[in-house]
Amino acid sequence: MTKPNRIPMLPQAGNRQWSASVNEKSVSKSIPSDAVLLDVLRDRVGTLGVKRGCDMGTCGCCAVLVDGEPRLSCLTMAAEVDGKKITTVEGLADGHHLAPLQETFTTYGGSQCGFCSPGFLIVASALLEKNNDPTDEEIKNAVEGNLCRCTGYQPIVDSIRAAGKILRDGKEATNPTDPHSNPHPGFKGDDS
Amino acid sequence: MPNNLAEAMEVAGRFIAAGEEFDWIAGGTDLIPNYKWHLNPKPNVISLANISELNQLTRTHIGAMVRLQDLTENEEMHPLLATAAGSIASVMIRRSATVGGNICLDTRCFWYNQSEDWRQSIDWCHKCDCGTEADCRVIQNQNDLCVATYQADLAPALICLNATIHLASPNGLREMPLSDFFELDGMKKNVLNRGEIVTHITLLEDSYSLIGTYHKLSQRETWDFPEAGIAATWDGKSLSSLKIASTGIESIPRDHSEQVEAAIESWNGSQSIDELSESVRKSVKPVNNTGFQPSYRRKMVKVLTRRSLKQLGIK
Ligand SMILES: Cc1cc2nc3c(=O)[nH]c(=O)nc-3n(C[C@H](O)[C@H](O)[C@H](O)COP(=O)(O)OP(=O)(O)OC[C@H]3O[C@@H](n4cnc5c(N)ncnc54)[C@H](O)[C@@H]3O)c2cc1C
Ligand code: SF4
Ligand code: FES
Ligand code: FES
Repeated sequence: MTKPNRIPMLPQAGNRQWSASVNEKSVSKSIPSDAVLLDVLRDRVGTLGVKRGCDMGTCGCCAVLVDGEPRLSCLTMAAEVDGKKITTVEGLADGHHLAPLQETFTTYGGSQCGFCSPGFLIVASALLEKNNDPTDEEIKNAVEGNLCRCTGYQPIVDSIRAAGKILRDGKEATNPTDPHSNPHPGFKGDDS
Repeated sequence: MPNNLAEAMEVAGRFIAAGEEFDWIAGGTDLIPNYKWHLNPKPNVISLANISELNQLTRTHIGAMVRLQDLTENEEMHPLLATAAGSIASVMIRRSATVGGNICLDTRCFWYNQSEDWRQSIDWCHKCDCGTEADCRVIQNQNDLCVATYQADLAPALICLNATIHLASPNGLREMPLSDFFELDGMKKNVLNRGEIVTHITLLEDSYSLIGTYHKLSQRETWDFPEAGIAATWDGKSLSSLKIASTGIESIPRDHSEQVEAAIESWNGSQSIDELSESVRKSVKPVNNTGFQPSYRRKMVKVLTRRSLKQLGIK
């Protein structure tokens, strides 16, 4: 059987000038008029914190804030968000300090391999922006579109809850998951 | 990107006159994944995103570009719509996904919604045959009919609320009951002609006196398309107001008025609930092209119908 001609994903269209504020910096790029936001952010703007997981809307790794609302950049036409304010995971921290959410993701084990973390951080930051005292149910609903293959999700819920606490009180009240569950029960260490 | 309906019609008219193919794109949450997998992409897409006329949302008027998340969060809306819309995909997708795109959702099939390499490995199928005249992989040895499944959640709820759909094309406007909009053909899908768009859905204020339920069978609680979905409404008093509609089973959502009318002729309490659920089950013919087996989906149609009727308080 002869192989049928492959059709390009979005067949050639003209270029257009695209401007947006990405992480509070204005950018202006010439992009194909049918470009998808994820490709523009990664390939033209250089915000590589935006991850390509499934490229199909199922995993949430590519989430960015568009005017403060989390959206999947892999399913958003760039032209549609022309002129908008876009925040990627790079835009969450100010200068040299991690945002409280990033802090708690490290201390509570919300991030292991880290590939899903940009998406979770974006979605959670939008949640906490609106409501800094969410119930676990509200947290779970907010992250329903994000997949994680490593953590088992509970540490992520814990991280988001703890970040909410920091945002409310300015500090953490308790130590993260204290005491840590022992990952190797029965193992006493080399010098026992 | 056209800025109003007239402009959109003009752009579409120009493509039609030039013999060029195009698709409308609304939220893109269905179209973009399909294009990425090279499922029948067209050389042009016309975005509806800037057409503010299509954004209007009131109790009786739902614009085609209203986002599903806005439908779930709007307390004015009928609770049944909030439930059905809230069951769709995940919250981020619902923020992009539109009502019009949901109604016009492409039909889905296990042999079709796959990557290009995967489809090549089965020598393609009729719906996207890449010029090979391949057969359908579900109903074999023929390439006339596609039986891909309609798996959108809003339609059965809207049908049960007696919604009317409004269309516009370069040739003018038309409207019809939503159940007449769909065509039993996995490729044609609905009555839309080239260049025609869905502008809005209307509900009568009377529909707000109906109470409704929507039950969805899916592989996981979030993200997943309905493997079977049953919506039902009634006014809480009279059986003659009862409506049942299904989705996720065949190439169109079904209005089950025929089965309902037959059942209420000689209604006999809970026995009739069973009989009606059974006759709805018998009336649907799922094929083997989604995640769950057709026999299981068909059985679940009965279960979901019975559950709906009980939840509505029908005795
Ligand atoms: C991971 C994932 C999970 C999903 N889960 C569900 C689910 O559980 N239930 C469900 O129902 N859907 C689901 N979807 C499908 C989809 O997100 C929704 O159905 C959505 O409502 C489609 O709307 P849209 O605006 O994004 O459509 P688009 O992708 O923009 O368009 C879809 C189709 O409709 C046509 N169209 C759009 N608007 C109009 C109009 N006004 N007039 C004429 N034609 C029009 C387009 O040309 C296209 O063919 C899922 C999608 C993904 C990626
Ligand atoms: S029903 Fe047949 S023709 Fe239609 S998508 Fe599936 S395999 Fe292809
Ligand atoms: S990359 Fe966008 S959802 Fe997976
Ligand atoms: S930390 Fe690895 S996928 Fe979530």
